[in-house]
Amino acid sequence: MFTTLATLLSHYKRHPGQLAMLLLGLWVASALWSGVQAINASARDSYARAEALFTTGLDRLERRDGQPLTRDDYLRLRRAGLPISPLLEGTLEAPDGTRLTVIGIEPFTLPGDNAFATAGSLSSRPGDLTIFLTPPWQTRVAPDTLPALGVADRQAPGGEPRLVDGRPLPPLVLAPSLPPDTLVMDIAAAAMLLDSGETLSRLVTAPHALDEAPTGLVLSRAATLASPGQLTESFHLNLTAMALLALVVGLFIVQAALGLALEQRLAMLRTLRALGVSGRRLVGLLALELLLLGIIGALAGIVSGVWLARLLLPDVAATLGSLYGAGVTAELNLPWHYWVGGIAVTLGGLFLAGAGVLWRAARLSVLGLGQAQAWRAGFRRQLTFMTLAGALVALTGLVLWAWLAGQPPGEGLLAGFGLMAALLLASALWLPPLLAAFIAALERLARRRPLAQWALADLQLQLPRLSLAMMALLIALSANLGVSSMVGGFRLTFLDWLDQRLVADLYLRPPAEQFEEIETWLGERREVAERLPTRRIEATLYEVKRGGNTRDLALPTHLYGITPGDALMPSWPLLDTLAGRDAAWQAFGGGEAFINEQLAISEGLTPGDRLTLSAPRGQEQATVVAVYPDYGNTQGEVLFATAQLASRFGAPPGSIGIVLAAGADEAALGQALSQHFGLGSDSLVDQREVKRIATGIFERTFTITRALSALTLGVAALALLASLLAQARERRRQLAPLWALGIPRAQLVQVQLGQLGGAALVTGALAIPLGIVLALGLVAVINVAAFGWRLPLFLFPMEIALTLATAVAVALLATALPAITLWRTPPRALLAEEVNT
Amino acid sequence: MLEFRQVHKSYATPQGPLQVLDGIDLRLAAGESLALMGESGSGKSTLLHLAAGLDLPEAGEVSVAGQAISSLDEPARARLRRDTLGLVFQQFHLVPSLNVGDNLRLQARLARRCDPEWAAHLIERLGLSGMEKRYPEQLSGGQQQRLAIGRALAPRPALLLADEPTGNLDETSADEVLGLLLSLVSESGSALLMVTHSSQVAAPLDRCLRLTHGRLGPVDEREASHR
Repeated sequence: MFTTLATLLSHYKRHPGQLAMLLLGLWVASALWSGVQAINASARDSYARAEALFTTGLDRLERRDGQPLTRDDYLRLRRAGLPISPLLEGTLEAPDGTRLTVIGIEPFTLPGDNAFATAGSLSSRPGDLTIFLTPPWQTRVAPDTLPALGVADRQAPGGEPRLVDGRPLPPLVLAPSLPPDTLVMDIAAAAMLLDSGETLSRLVTAPHALDEAPTGLVLSRAATLASPGQLTESFHLNLTAMALLALVVGLFIVQAALGLALEQRLAMLRTLRALGVSGRRLVGLLALELLLLGIIGALAGIVSGVWLARLLLPDVAATLGSLYGAGVTAELNLPWHYWVGGIAVTLGGLFLAGAGVLWRAARLSVLGLGQAQAWRAGFRRQLTFMTLAGALVALTGLVLWAWLAGQPPGEGLLAGFGLMAALLLASALWLPPLLAAFIAALERLARRRPLAQWALADLQLQLPRLSLAMMALLIALSANLGVSSMVGGFRLTFLDWLDQRLVADLYLRPPAEQFEEIETWLGERREVAERLPTRRIEATLYEVKRGGNTRDLALPTHLYGITPGDALMPSWPLLDTLAGRDAAWQAFGGGEAFINEQLAISEGLTPGDRLTLSAPRGQEQATVVAVYPDYGNTQGEVLFATAQLASRFGAPPGSIGIVLAAGADEAALGQALSQHFGLGSDSLVDQREVKRIATGIFERTFTITRALSALTLGVAALALLASLLAQARERRRQLAPLWALGIPRAQLVQVQLGQLGGAALVTGALAIPLGIVLALGLVAVINVAAFGWRLPLFLFPMEIALTLATAVAVALLATALPAITLWRTPPRALLAEEVNT
Repeated sequence: MLEFRQVHKSYATPQGPLQVLDGIDLRLAAGESLALMGESGSGKSTLLHLAAGLDLPEAGEVSVAGQAISSLDEPARARLRRDTLGLVFQQFHLVPSLNVGDNLRLQARLARRCDPEWAAHLIERLGLSGMEKRYPEQLSGGQQQRLAIGRALAPRPALLLADEPTGNLDETSADEVLGLLLSLVSESGSALLMVTHSSQVAAPLDRCLRLTHGRLGPVDEREASHR
């Protein structure tokens, strides 16, 4: 057995390029997949830790007037018998500039079934609680926060690192289950560090321990505070889909390499069979060869994947933080099953890619084994199989599409991805038969031009080896075009939407206690043309009435208040109205509601529906008169006029948008505001800054999507290059007779470039409609299901031209290396290769 | 038609330069046939490659149809091969992607000298009738070599260079192919330079020379007796 295996492997000694191509395919496929899975695993670990913390999972109490709660409020309510616990939350700056969240708790009253008691190990040893509660207190911290504090792991327990302002933290105690960049300590210690005096951030209570909010307070149910894991699910699904795409493209390289390696070993297989090695044993040994190669490729891929994840994780963490408010550690935290899973997925993919080749090897007859013709006849059968398999996959896609069409909008994220996958796979399977038919048609046209006829016939002969690389190129190009069209269209829509929404020149977030005073003061200033105060509150959407039907929902919902005025009304975008734009604004001012697209899609609401919402004085009703786009939000929202929200729902004050009069001095107003009211510099933000931040968040959100899309295209280019390099020597042998017959090498190089460039151009041309359909699927199905909003489809002629140019450039680049080798090969060496055939 | 004047050629080897051709002088007139004999590794193929412009001499001059090979750049040498020469290799080197008919006409069409009647005549004479749509790999060795001969003769080259054209064939096929080759060369009026190590193969040709230690000389008596 060892001799047979060694004989089989000896092929790679003669053809190291093929071995490199195989390992390269496995490596890149595994690296991109493992990289994304590493990011997902780390993020999920962070979510799990955040969800285990008491900041989620508990009902919250805050003051209705927006002013901070005090220790007196807490004591009064506690004496009244309410099962509440105080919580203080703030931020401090670590020596390296990291913003650390400090949470001060009161362990005696904190609801007992929260994770802190176990994860924070308070109850693990007698006396721990006393140490936690009494000076010098304790700081509970996760190990991955230590680098920000400048503390080594060994020095951590008992260490007292200093903050950027020089103040020391209470002695550290490691609590691995805490989220990253979070410090938990006794509320007294937190109050000292945060200089918060008697104020509290909020009061918490076990879910549903209170039926209703005490007078003057607002109760937010834990259910309304969606966990980061839920919010970010679609984001991670998107990443996984992109990684799967890269894995598939990488496996195409593997299959191409395996096919080539086996085809060139046909004579060896025949000899081994003739020498008495059974077909079953031969296939078994080929499978063993796959396993050995797979393990090497998978290990290399996982190591590179971890490196890639380290590179991308900070951007992903920042995106998840800014988009969903989810804290994700920038340090990789990989569970054991990540490593096993990485190897299993790579090996599984390898055997999937190799199964076809093994099956073909097992079915070839001993007598026909050495003939290339038998192998080629196999390819012709394979083309028929590809056409049929493509039709089957397309049919599956049609079934999914029909199913999705029958679903309410926003449903079927997985089915949507399934539809995309079916579309890509069917197109990829149809590509080789299409290319073969196209080349055959051209051959008939080129009968009078011998060189062109030879070039086309030769390309037809190369097709079995090139088809997988071309399939990879098609998938990568169309995914690239689809993603870039979606992101580009989203960008245009988003920037437009920002312009429409951000009509004020300045945005002021005053302290709640000064809100009325500042608003009045602003009203008296000549440089202020209009004030646009906002408010925000959570409520429950109890029921929806449509016609005579009533539907019960009990849905936690955000209510947002805006000021419909001369500045806002003309520009605020509306997607759908009950009776036109003007009527919608008139009704809105009179107390009716707008809803955002997410809520409309997720609950199937339309203008004309009557909503019943929870309110301090029982229930409030409002008719939906318009639906508006809301790209900065991931959750449903009901919009009211600010005055209505304050009077009917008791919403606390939020921010004030300031529209300046013509020629008003923005800086002077800002200065006057801070002098009069002692506002910090971060209270007033100008519109440009808000747009800059929002655009920054947007760009970062799609950084990884774009990076993965570009990497996939890079992998496809590698697939093509690897395919060409692996057969470069044989190609030169095929070209040598033509050179000997009198075709100059320069012309042969041109023909090679033309062959591949032409095939890539056809592939690129097919990738365009496919990419457009993918973009349509992304904006009409995936985005609606993942984010809750629908985008118009934008097509960018430059992107399309770039796709075609990329296809040709990739092919020419991949052809360039073998072509240069041919160009630089001395004629005698070329001939020697030929003679040595 | 073909002239070698004091041609030298050596190859670099790990043991130092290996002199393969050492001052070769040779003339071949139009329509004449010449067999070049020698042991394996004696430099016969190198001489043939120099004649075809596939390689260049280190010293001396090789002229084909009055053109000095060394003075031509690579595209010009390629044109010379395409328009003036026909090449037959021991390993056939047919183009696997083209069928029998297209393979046979390939060089003639490249040289824009395709004569359909002559091509049809060649196909018939070579015993390839009815096989025009087949691909080279579907032919036997003898059929492939006959096709290679047809491809080389299709443009009616002024000079046919054949490198062991029957070296890969069994005795019966070799006799048959050689007979055909000589007959067709005679019909086309081409000059022939054939490299072979077999005195039997060399026998029917007009002249025969032996390459030994890089120098050309007459064949010995025993070899001459075959003539």
